[in-house]
Amino acid sequence: MPKLGRLFVAFCFAIAATMVSAQEKTGIKQGFQLQPGTARILLLEPSVRVGSQSTGGLFEPNADWTEQAKNNLERELSEVQGRLGNRVDRHELDGSSASAKLHDYNALFGAVASSVIEYQFFLGNRLPSKKKDKNEFSWSVGPGLKDVPALKGYDYILMIRTKDAFGSAGRKLLQIAAAFGGVGVTAGEHIGMAGLIDIRTGELVWLNADLQMGGDVRTTEGAVKRVSQLLEGFPGRGVQ
Amino acid sequence: MMALSKALLRVAAVTCLASPSLGADTYTLPPYSPAYEPRTLDERGLWMEADVHEKRLAGSPMRIRDDHLSQYVRDVLCRTVGSDRCGGVRVYIVDIPAFNATMMPNGAMSVWSGLLLRVRSEAELGAVLGHEFAHFELRHSLLGFQNRRSNSDLAAWIQVLGAIAQRDVSDTQLSIVGSVYRFNREQEKQADLLGLKYLKSSPYPSRSASEVWQHLMEEADATAAGRMIRKKHQYSAGFFDTHPTELNRADYLLEEALKFNDPGEAGAKEHYKAVEKYLPRFLSSQIRLNDFGGTEYIVSGIAGHTGWTGALLQARADMYVSRGNVRDLITATTLYLNAIDSGYQRPEIYRGLGLGLIKLGRNDDGRKYLKLYLENVPDAQDKKMIQLYIDDAGGE
Repeated sequence: MPKLGRLFVAFCFAIAATMVSAQEKTGIKQGFQLQPGTARILLLEPSVRVGSQSTGGLFEPNADWTEQAKNNLERELSEVQGRLGNRVDRHELDGSSASAKLHDYNALFGAVASSVIEYQFFLGNRLPSKKKDKNEFSWSVGPGLKDVPALKGYDYILMIRTKDAFGSAGRKLLQIAAAFGGVGVTAGEHIGMAGLIDIRTGELVWLNADLQMGGDVRTTEGAVKRVSQLLEGFPGRGVQ
Repeated sequence: MMALSKALLRVAAVTCLASPSLGADTYTLPPYSPAYEPRTLDERGLWMEADVHEKRLAGSPMRIRDDHLSQYVRDVLCRTVGSDRCGGVRVYIVDIPAFNATMMPNGAMSVWSGLLLRVRSEAELGAVLGHEFAHFELRHSLLGFQNRRSNSDLAAWIQVLGAIAQRDVSDTQLSIVGSVYRFNREQEKQADLLGLKYLKSSPYPSRSASEVWQHLMEEADATAAGRMIRKKHQYSAGFFDTHPTELNRADYLLEEALKFNDPGEAGAKEHYKAVEKYLPRFLSSQIRLNDFGGTEYIVSGIAGHTGWTGALLQARADMYVSRGNVRDLITATTLYLNAIDSGYQRPEIYRGLGLGLIKLGRNDDGRKYLKLYLENVPDAQDKKMIQLYIDDAGGE
């Protein structure tokens, strides 16, 4: 069971010091520009997970909150879609064999985005080749993307992921107790990312990642704030 | 698409665990209750996440979407756990050449192709499927999650209090970690024993469950011998082991099965007939794992039931070609020719034969077979490489 391996690591680093550096970063491919009205964008079904954070830091999925958040975010996204400067269609990742390759690529997008966050964006584990040039941003999922039949007629893929773990009462209690001992304990985890992938070349041309997102996604206003943070700096937005 | 969490699922309403050591009435299965919807916060959350995973699994390119094979696995499951229980289970066969099957908390089961290759009868397959279903019936995912949560909560508090009191708490932390793994091993044993009870109520002999683990131990021995390393089987599991050891499982499963004393038809012939079409594919994936000893054990085991069919001869030859010593190429050539003589003519045999002969220095014969391969598969993926061999051998 892979979960147990992760648990062991979590035990070892159960109480991590809070990160001091900035928590929000955007990367854009050098020289990339997207003119409004020139491209067709496919929004892959957003990944939304909302739950609690247990005292020990485990993610406890909450079905009600996730459903509320999904509805709020989808509603807000469909409103915002028209204001992104280009036509955006939504694609549902279902269980049919036609979606098979897209499931693969969806997982790959997540892996590449995680790599960007881990090895380029934030202080702690950055690769030398990724931090020597401030404008360096070259990431790709390979050239095979254009051959996926479901993507015919589209130029870019937009992927959106958010995960919210609201600190439980026990976690907050632990945080207070830990403060007495001079140990820093974080309560609550709200991370999200939005990325744009060029279908023709497979390159990740834009990525927005935030490890401390705002807005309570379980409410409508919170979802509005969350979506605006996710799509902050979306290329080709046109004159507002 | 119907929301998966609303699919009709039937789970026995038993929440306590049936222990086989309690009295005479312990061999009957708990009563069955229809349509179950999770109600508690934890369980609903787990089912929601499982639904997302199931969608991904259903759309995965690793999935083998063969109706006959899926139907066969479903039939074995239904015969093992009963038609009441198997009604709501979704079975997904995935092309992974290792022995495993998994069960999600919402009733989705995945069966790996390596499992279908290794089990030698319907009863053995039923033993594994029954074990997985037992996890579902006993709600192990939920209980495991709650156990991990409680233990990690405890560990977090101990760490903080230890920091405040300036004490070393690493021993306590370690024992908490150990208890989580021990809990998981206990769950696996419970699933084993409930799976055995399913087998008892089914037409299959319950002794097959122990045989699954015996074969796995023998395969591990063969793998170790092939790699020239020593391997010993232990009764007690290691600190981080998530399952009891194979030896331990084979032992207690046999002990319980002897108490049940239920003969039955294991259905070996039926199993090999059902997987016959996929055997070449499963075997070629297994050979690519580069485990000569283990693959030889598996192939010989199948041959013991079906005899040396053309497909098995080809697989054996491929094994030797892949190991590639000069004496192996001679063996492989003989085996390929035997396969052809037995009436089993496949383009892959011509390719293997051709490559082997060329590597032995018999260029004319080798070229002949490689040309035969390209004639049969004009748009082969490795056409350019094979053509290179033909040209190279011809030029000498």
